[in-house]
Amino acid sequence: MSTLTPALDQAGHGPEDHGHGHAEPHSLSLLYALPTFSRDHKVIGLQFLITTLLMLMVGGALALGVRWQLAFPWERMPILGDTVFAADGGQISPEAYTMLVTMHATVMIFLVIIPILAGAFGNLLIPLQIGADDMAFPTLNMLSYWFMWPAIFLFACSLGVMDWLLPFEALRIGGPDAGTAQGWTSYPLLSALAEAAPGSQKAQTYWLLGLTFIGFSSMMGSVNYLTTIINMRAPGMTLFRMPLTIWGMFITAILQAFALPVLTAAGFMLVFDRLPFSIHSCFFIPSGVVVNNAAPTVGGGQPLLWQHLFWFYSHPAVYIMLLPAMGMVSDMMSCMARKPVFGYKPMVYSMAAIAGLGFIVWGHHMFTSGMNPALGMTFMVSTIMIALPSAIKTFNWLGTMWGGRLQFNTVMLNCIAFVSLFVIGGLSGIFMAAVPVDIYIHDTYFIVAHFHYVLFGATLFGVFGATVFWFPKMFGRMMNETLGKIHFVLTFIGLNCTFYPMHLLGVAGFPRRYADPYHFPYLEHLLPLNQFITISALVMGFAQFILLANFFGSMFLGKKCGRNPWHANGLEWTAPSPPGHGNFDVAPVVYHGPYEYSSPLCTDKDYLPQTEYVPLTQRQAVAHVGH
Amino acid sequence: MGRFWAIFFMFSAFLAVALFVVAPDNGWWFPEDGRAHTSLGQKIDDLFYLILVITGVTFVGVQIALGYVLWRGAAAGQDPQAKSQFTHGSHTLEVIWTIVPSGILLFIALYQMDVWAHYRVRTMFPKKMEAVAEVTARQFEWRIRYPAHGKKLMPTPQPDDIYTVNDLHVPAGHPVSISLRSDDVQHSFFVPLLRVKQDAVPGLVIPVWFEVNDVGSYELTCAELCGWGHYKMKARVVAESDEDFEAWKSKTAKEQFDDGFKAETKEE
Amino acid sequence: MSVIRTSIARCAVPLLLAALGCGKNPQAQFQWRDSTTELIPNASKAVQKTIVDHFGTPDELVAWDKLPVHYSRVTGTLAEAGASAEQFRIAWDPGFAPAELPKNNQLLWLSGANAASQQNVVNVDAAGLVTLEAPPNIWAPGDRVAVNFGDRMQLGRVVYMKNCHHCHGVAGDGNGPTAKFLTPKPRDYRLGYFKFTSTNSMTIKPTRDDLRSVIKYGIPGTYMPSFLLMKDEEVTAVIEYVRWLAMRGEMEKRLDDELTADYSLASIDASVKKAKDSGEKGASKSQLLKQANDDLKQYLAEDYPTTVNDTAEMVAESWTSADDPANVVTPSVPRVADTAESRARGRMIYLSDKAKCYTCHGPHGRGDGAATEDFWPKPGSQEKYANRGLHDFWGNPLSPRDLTKGQYRGGRRPIDLFRRVHAGIKGTPMPAFGGTVLKDEDIWDVVNYVMSLPFEAQSPSKAPAKALATTAQVEQ
Repeated sequence: MSTLTPALDQAGHGPEDHGHGHAEPHSLSLLYALPTFSRDHKVIGLQFLITTLLMLMVGGALALGVRWQLAFPWERMPILGDTVFAADGGQISPEAYTMLVTMHATVMIFLVIIPILAGAFGNLLIPLQIGADDMAFPTLNMLSYWFMWPAIFLFACSLGVMDWLLPFEALRIGGPDAGTAQGWTSYPLLSALAEAAPGSQKAQTYWLLGLTFIGFSSMMGSVNYLTTIINMRAPGMTLFRMPLTIWGMFITAILQAFALPVLTAAGFMLVFDRLPFSIHSCFFIPSGVVVNNAAPTVGGGQPLLWQHLFWFYSHPAVYIMLLPAMGMVSDMMSCMARKPVFGYKPMVYSMAAIAGLGFIVWGHHMFTSGMNPALGMTFMVSTIMIALPSAIKTFNWLGTMWGGRLQFNTVMLNCIAFVSLFVIGGLSGIFMAAVPVDIYIHDTYFIVAHFHYVLFGATLFGVFGATVFWFPKMFGRMMNETLGKIHFVLTFIGLNCTFYPMHLLGVAGFPRRYADPYHFPYLEHLLPLNQFITISALVMGFAQFILLANFFGSMFLGKKCGRNPWHANGLEWTAPSPPGHGNFDVAPVVYHGPYEYSSPLCTDKDYLPQTEYVPLTQRQAVAHVGH
Repeated sequence: MGRFWAIFFMFSAFLAVALFVVAPDNGWWFPEDGRAHTSLGQKIDDLFYLILVITGVTFVGVQIALGYVLWRGAAAGQDPQAKSQFTHGSHTLEVIWTIVPSGILLFIALYQMDVWAHYRVRTMFPKKMEAVAEVTARQFEWRIRYPAHGKKLMPTPQPDDIYTVNDLHVPAGHPVSISLRSDDVQHSFFVPLLRVKQDAVPGLVIPVWFEVNDVGSYELTCAELCGWGHYKMKARVVAESDEDFEAWKSKTAKEQFDDGFKAETKEE
Repeated sequence: MSVIRTSIARCAVPLLLAALGCGKNPQAQFQWRDSTTELIPNASKAVQKTIVDHFGTPDELVAWDKLPVHYSRVTGTLAEAGASAEQFRIAWDPGFAPAELPKNNQLLWLSGANAASQQNVVNVDAAGLVTLEAPPNIWAPGDRVAVNFGDRMQLGRVVYMKNCHHCHGVAGDGNGPTAKFLTPKPRDYRLGYFKFTSTNSMTIKPTRDDLRSVIKYGIPGTYMPSFLLMKDEEVTAVIEYVRWLAMRGEMEKRLDDELTADYSLASIDASVKKAKDSGEKGASKSQLLKQANDDLKQYLAEDYPTTVNDTAEMVAESWTSADDPANVVTPSVPRVADTAESRARGRMIYLSDKAKCYTCHGPHGRGDGAATEDFWPKPGSQEKYANRGLHDFWGNPLSPRDLTKGQYRGGRRPIDLFRRVHAGIKGTPMPAFGGTVLKDEDIWDVVNYVMSLPFEAQSPSKAPAKALATTAQVEQ
């Protein structure tokens, strides 16, 4: 057990009670604790961060496979073609393509974006920013990380690359071309009937089990975050003095807690529908369906039921994948603009509105599905209205930057990109919210463009910024600015060149998940554009190695820094870099909000940490300035 | 240095707008001549352009505001004497930028409701509508069943029904409907040029109506992942005049009931 | 036709195909049959060499003139000289006149003294006037020529690899990457059987039109989809390529059959066992193997070339006979009127001992006849299949069609059903009834009955099938 894994069982148990005044922790102390079952939230956060960054590369590689096929259809594909399909001249099979599409989305959503926001940054920042010494349930926290590994293993099994490890023939799925290929949305009957697709045999079951484990992991996390944020805030940290990062994490945890059980239930229902030795239910399977000349189904179920259950979770999931990033961006932007967040309370209420509305818009994924058209109308109205809080937030970010003394470092560039690209993603969403237009663009690349802009363009840029911003807190060193800027430029250009033309592809009616769209004369002329997109994607993908190099290299070679290299206000910047167990050497007491940059109350510097007390007389003297 | 970044972001926004401007000329726009060939399809296109204008104006406005903010902020950032504007927000502005977008969004929502209803709500389907065929989607083709000449389409197959595969013929110029169903998994009946899309759900028979304005052949694709052959479901919708449609049906019926007996001629 | 054979028989023209795409590694491969790889090494090598010599590899196809394959889109016979030494008038073969040629073309002499030489073409017109870049060395009227030799095969290969190979396999062995997930399995062309043909029971092969129908309309109830919208030239090209793959596969199989009896690993093992059982001294495996190798060497030198030649001619002949219109099943009488009486007659024939349809298709046409419960022997041997029921020639389990479903895999026209009954379904236990067992009028009655089955109100009682069936085997 390292020195970072104490028995933390009570809130407010500060390090001053230990009586051993040890020196500041070693800058790599978090790193050294990585392979352990540590219950320290910072170690767990870092474990999540590194795992998800590696999963990002895996998901990216799968995407590059998709892009390769679309740019060079039926030509030799590197790696996959050279191994599994060597006898076919390196040409992948169509079911392998649908596997690539499915697993790219699965890995990115469940193994990268959701864990990196809640698991990595949630864990790292929540206790530090609210002044707690750790999470409310450290053991549960540790489990939430380690439950990710069975999920990774099961998803890898469903990909078809773990056959060599599985001991029994009955467990093996037979190669990547029998990998899960039903889309990350996994609609029955394609996913419910084993005969319907190669990936629907064993791979789909592994996938559903992997989903269950990652769900457990998320659920444990959200319970922890909610409890910690509600119960363990430092004295003086009222709800409206919390940084927006915490608000983002808090609202996200509520979303996760209420929506995820529905997906888990749906997942179990699908497993029961599928497994031949299970209860043989037909929740989603109507009667009399004959697929691949198998026996007709017994039936009684409704395929649409899955869609309702799935999207009931997966729509809030997209806000789970956005809100924490929104919160973090507000924090970072305020710091780099050296002025308060514009409209703090509207920002909070907007996040809450996004979350609340997010529960009643799931049907917009199902406009063409055959559900009752009256539902289409109601979902359409709520979906259109959900653009409103996002718009309010965007204007508030602009307001945050307006009149600021902007520091154009890597962190700020990533935040600006977040705002700029979120605008694109959000505006393209309005097209889809309009149901008649959605009839045309549903299941085309317009949708792909939209969600990549909000998930990659917005969330991931927020994550990149957050990584650079809080890296000094984790390691006591700064990440390299030059590499950071190079990574930013390449990723920004690459992203725009990759996903912006997809809007046009969507308008041209380019369907999703097609192994060979050029089979259709009306799409043949779009090959050059697709090749351009693929090349941009390759540039963007390989640029991420710069981030990894910067991240891992700076741990050892980065410029050393103190506790507060950014001159920021949050509680985390009063703790050592990295913080030891218990986080704070002096128990924090909070006197004001986290965004008092350039406040008239601070005369010698342009920031006012939350723990810095300003005497009443001074406060009264500047009261007339108002805000 | 900061100014460089302000220009960088503005330039990329400019490129984004420019790309949309040049897209139609390069063929990166609605298929073929860019027109929808059904009347409801044209309404969809109108709505699309309306939203494009609204979002385009918003986009340009926001990007200009961003550029301005960045430019000013860059200048201030360079100046060591400058201090940021210390403000926590503006109630007035919040009200303005809540009410105005809500108004625009509600307008968009209400404006398009009747188009949607016209498409999908059965009581609002055209009164005179010809049920042309039952289209069954299966892995990986479209099997189509027409009623015999002069007969009505029945929900179950009839001995004199006419069958084709991947070849849907409809009369142009008046509303027609198909009964869409699926033999196995979910598919989706998508005719891009007619702006028609409807998922085919196993266990359901869904009526889809459209009125094709122009005679011609339109590509039919599948728009719901249905397995490895999802991309292979290439078919066509042929809209022709009533006379041609009847003539085609008669010809196909004759071929379908061909007994192969040749009186004198040789050719097979 | 014979002119080509004699002239080019010695020099099969290699056809260089650019590999699809830019990858140099890996190459698509024609998988060898198990019967080839299970021969003794020298025999296996001999068969492989023969096949590679005459058929090539997927990236370097060889056009063997012995085979009735249309390798090129444009072929003709030299008629007379033109205005200058470089100009000729060519009589295009019917259906093989040039249309939409690319910019640069080449003329290949297929026969005559100039055979196998290739020249650049300056101009071609549909009427038959061809202008070459340079005058040929020697030529005579009656010489056979082809423009852009092999372009149809090339297109066929491209179309096949793009659309077909992932189920049907690179070699047409029905074992592409997707095949293991499909029921029924994709066709293995190498056996030489195609199920849904318009040819009579004596003519095993399908016509080109039969293959065209399958491509255009698919096979309902299977994963063979309809490629209705594929361009005509692409369909024509892929038909030639599939025929060529079938010929290649059948050649390989027949050569294996010739050699398996004496020169396979199994036969060596059997000899070893026999020698051991009979107590022969000095008959070890290596000795027997050496003996076999010596025999093989002699065989390869003396008899093998003739065997190859004869086999190729037999394969070619079987395909050519399918092109003879006389071998297409055409009813001698028009369809008997589809009345209740005709259907009743049809039902009587269905249940009679003459046709015995019910033994497989069941008394109510549901495909649940008694034959589905029996153990059937494998073709050409006494050994029985491990599982009950009928099998096709490829060894796959095969259920008799449930006629109440209205699903007709070979086509739903009356003539299609007529042909199924008349000629049977080749490669399956469905026998041929035409010309011998049933008259054409009887077949029409059966067709009327069968076509009425999906619409008949079926009685819920299922008469026990065993009471009606006999235990006689179904003729193959």
